[in-house]
Amino acid sequence: MGKDLILVIVVATALTFDFTNGFHDTANAVATLISTRALSPRLAVTMSAVLNFVGAFVSIKVATTVGKGIVEAGSASTTIVFAGLIGAIAWNLATWYFGLPSSSSHALIGGVVGAALAAEGAGAVNGSGLVEKVLVPSLVAPVLALVVAAIAIATAYRVVGRMRPGPVGRGFRLGQLITGSMQSFAHGTNDAQKTMGIIVLALIAHGDFTAADFHVPSWVKISAASAIALGTYAGGWRIIRTMGSRIIKMDAAQGFAAQGAGASVLLAAAHFGFPLSTTHVISGGVMGAGAGKRLSAVRWGVAGNIVAAWILTLPAAATGGALIYGLTRIFGTGVTGPLVVSIAAVGVLAVIFGRRLAEGRTLTAEG
Amino acid sequence: MVATLIDVNVLWKLVAYSLAGGIGVTLTFSIAIYGAIRFVDLRRDGHPVFAGAFGALAGVALAAVAAAVVWAVSILAEKS
Repeated sequence: MGKDLILVIVVATALTFDFTNGFHDTANAVATLISTRALSPRLAVTMSAVLNFVGAFVSIKVATTVGKGIVEAGSASTTIVFAGLIGAIAWNLATWYFGLPSSSSHALIGGVVGAALAAEGAGAVNGSGLVEKVLVPSLVAPVLALVVAAIAIATAYRVVGRMRPGPVGRGFRLGQLITGSMQSFAHGTNDAQKTMGIIVLALIAHGDFTAADFHVPSWVKISAASAIALGTYAGGWRIIRTMGSRIIKMDAAQGFAAQGAGASVLLAAAHFGFPLSTTHVISGGVMGAGAGKRLSAVRWGVAGNIVAAWILTLPAAATGGALIYGLTRIFGTGVTGPLVVSIAAVGVLAVIFGRRLAEGRTLTAEG
Repeated sequence: MVATLIDVNVLWKLVAYSLAGGIGVTLTFSIAIYGAIRFVDLRRDGHPVFAGAFGALAGVALAAVAAAVVWAVSILAEKS
């Protein structure tokens, strides 16, 4: 009974993380669309939510990486997974509050790694997997997207720079509908699967099946796809504002170049099995689209804050995961620890968001 | 050191494909916009032959972008 209750808590927490992942990363696909007025904000998040939902059913490769490639699946207990998720949710909410587009994938991996380190020591963490699948890609992704977007926008300006801005802007806004749709679809294929991987990790820890028999049950796919779509629809407006207008003042051509560069990098990475953070890629693309016009077009102070958040994500989420694991262990190894922590977390979230609603603001809006 | 952590050959391919895809799609779409605007201008000014040529250029460029989108979706589907 206790083990089953822990599993229920872990699955609910994983889906909560998936929801925060959705509203945290909405900006990746829609910020440039909204900023250049290619779509209205509500229509943009609706389109993104639908495509995230559809994209979640395309593949299970990322789910397998998260479920097997970072933490030794046999070493992970449901309490470790729970603590890791809470650490990741806390970091996602903190970076959302400050409007910083950080990687939800790194927050999740950091949280689980921190909890596993606290519980089992260094032996529970797949170090080479962490370096190969997380650290190296986090260096490659933004730099590559920045360079591609900078060259792409310079090329676009060379072709259409002397033409009337009205029709050029309308043309690129139409193009953004295609690149924005691709981004949302790709996000669903990547990010919804992280939650699927985590839930499967918990199912393995619970004893439902073994690590050798790794697969994603249908109910896990449907619930993870629904949670990320709902989160995307809620819209993380603070981060959308940062990505869409605070890094650079964007025109439609820059929006198209940033998204086109981002989509190309993500798809090439998917083709070669090189896991990259969507957030890092799109942020790098936006910076590149500004720098390609002129270096001073980029607000480097804002860009610096974003990079600092990227660097901090893994250690901060790991620290959160380790602390939460320690907190749950105060109550022993049973269900009491996760139950107390999850009730406390729900209480904190209810107070924060309840106050926002009472003040007449939407859940994830600016201000 | 780096070579032991990642496959450098794959990394170079990633860079090459990303550059080709990102710059290629933006360039091609820019050409489509250029062709479409020139088509409208030339047709309005009474130059149907030149207008047709630019219209064809815009059409070919748009078809290339559409092919890139189909290729992209097939890559995403391939991952499963």
